[in-house]
Amino acid sequence: MTNKEKYKQAFSVLHASGRISLEEERMKIMKKKARFQAAAAAVAVCLAFAGGGSIAYAADLGGVQRKIQLWVHGDQTDADIVYNANGSYDLWFEENGAQEERHGGGIAIDEDGTERSLTEEEIIEHLNQPEVDYREDGSVWVYYYDQEIDITDQFKDGVCYVKVSNGETTLYMTILYQDGYCTSPHKYESPDSFN
Amino acid sequence: MRLPTQELFEKYQNNLYAVAFNVCKNAEDAEDVVQDTFIQYYSFKKQFDNEQHIRAWLIRVTINKAKNMNRTFWRKNKMSLEEYMETLTFETPESSELFEAAMSLPEKYRIVIHLFYYEDYTVHEIAGILKLSESNVKVRLSRARSLLREKLQEDWENDE
Repeated sequence: MTNKEKYKQAFSVLHASGRISLEEERMKIMKKKARFQAAAAAVAVCLAFAGGGSIAYAADLGGVQRKIQLWVHGDQTDADIVYNANGSYDLWFEENGAQEERHGGGIAIDEDGTERSLTEEEIIEHLNQPEVDYREDGSVWVYYYDQEIDITDQFKDGVCYVKVSNGETTLYMTILYQDGYCTSPHKYESPDSFN
Repeated sequence: MRLPTQELFEKYQNNLYAVAFNVCKNAEDAEDVVQDTFIQYYSFKKQFDNEQHIRAWLIRVTINKAKNMNRTFWRKNKMSLEEYMETLTFETPESSELFEAAMSLPEKYRIVIHLFYYEDYTVHEIAGILKLSESNVKVRLSRARSLLREKLQEDWENDE
């Protein structure tokens, strides 16, 4: 047998269990959930590995209600946020006349490895991180406060480096195409540092 | 062009599951990844050149989602690879050893090896899917083969 035949024989034992469903309602629910998982993953990458810092956000995006100002796709909008004691949040805002909602949260891992719930400040910080948007037309955009940057043609070997600023804070972003991103206030982090 | 999600699901779900498992090393996560991949296909009305274009896109999205899954610290009662392997029925002991050896490789080598030996992609095609240079893919393939050769010795031919 060739190596290829041996490899195929070995891995042909893998089959999905049948738990996966294409039923429409489930697809819609999962679509919403998937969006927030992806956002959480990107943040986890930034802070856990490249920030060199003390906080890593875990996933499980999902109190006290208050109003905050939120930047969504380059526009500032009023949002209602409920912060739950377990570190999760529920967020509602209007975009293009439609009511949108987001749910998120997770845990933080301190430098000594201790896990704890996210604080309200950490959640707000997470919400104010730059956002990378992969549009249906294939273009890729970065949003940070009122900045909208088309980075579609700036990827080289799947990596794009872009600097964003809100006037007070400047962030250096290293973006891996459809594979998360990392920000640092000091320098462009190497893709290897979080991949 | 687009093909119905159901048709693609029936045709590729096991291939995508194998790709996802290769990255995640966990059955539940791999199934979530496959589900999310089909949701993305269903949700984004992206047009494709042909079926091979769709297949490559599905595989790329699966790999990216699986990598993200590995970084999300989801809390689940996960079955270890060893436990999961005990539920699989390998045709021969050598197949089981090859599976274990391949899964013990670093992630970046596992993906390249899997796309080459299981999905029959060329170095050029793998470079396109992973957004890497061809020389980088060649290096990873070569190192992965060497590691498999070290682990499996005469059960893995030198096919450089």
